[in-house]
Amino acid sequence: MLSMETLTYGILALLGVISLLGTYLAIIEKDLVKAVIFSALQSTAYAFIFYILMAPDIVLVYVPVAVGLYPAIVLFLIKKTGRLDGDEP
Amino acid sequence: MSTELDVFLFGIMTYAIIMNLGVSLYGVFRRPSITKKIIALTIFSDSANVLAIIVGYRGWPNPWHSPIPPILLNRHPTPQYISEFAKVAVDPLPQALVLTAVVIGLAVTVFLVFLALQLYRLYGTVDVRKVRRLRG
Repeated sequence: MLSMETLTYGILALLGVISLLGTYLAIIEKDLVKAVIFSALQSTAYAFIFYILMAPDIVLVYVPVAVGLYPAIVLFLIKKTGRLDGDEP
Repeated sequence: MSTELDVFLFGIMTYAIIMNLGVSLYGVFRRPSITKKIIALTIFSDSANVLAIIVGYRGWPNPWHSPIPPILLNRHPTPQYISEFAKVAVDPLPQALVLTAVVIGLAVTVFLVFLALQLYRLYGTVDVRKVRRLRG
């Protein structure tokens, strides 16, 4: 029978894989706006990991900073400097 | 108390975070755009923070009760209460360090964005290959 502990660790493993996927897509993606969105997805997975690892105070700080402020600042930078990751020579 | 399946699942998460560190380091070193480098650097620092929290985690007291956050709910704790608390609470020290690191990481990111903007104003591009060609 599946205990609560195993279920929780299963959710943690799923969140880890989601964050790995988000990181990979954020690094590979050429369009920087999409890369920021994938980065926010990865940050959301990290926020849930923090919550399950019993750090609710970090979640309270991490969610506004990493899901709200980081994408806002980087989107501001993208708006000023251009949208594409430079592949043209 | 933990079975092999638990150890396996927890290992999947830990190795996923370590692979995140590797992928984001690849982004910092190999991607040409400064903006992409900043995104990768935030992912790198967040992954390091998650690893620190994993270090502070502990095994479950029993399979149906999780550890509790390191917050005392008693205003006048007795030594016996504290010893019972220490048997089920996670380690608060990495959480304090990570809380500081998250805020400092935000300040560092804002500074790097400012530097990237200055670079764009001076050179007209944020592609490091073009900036290197323009130098000298």
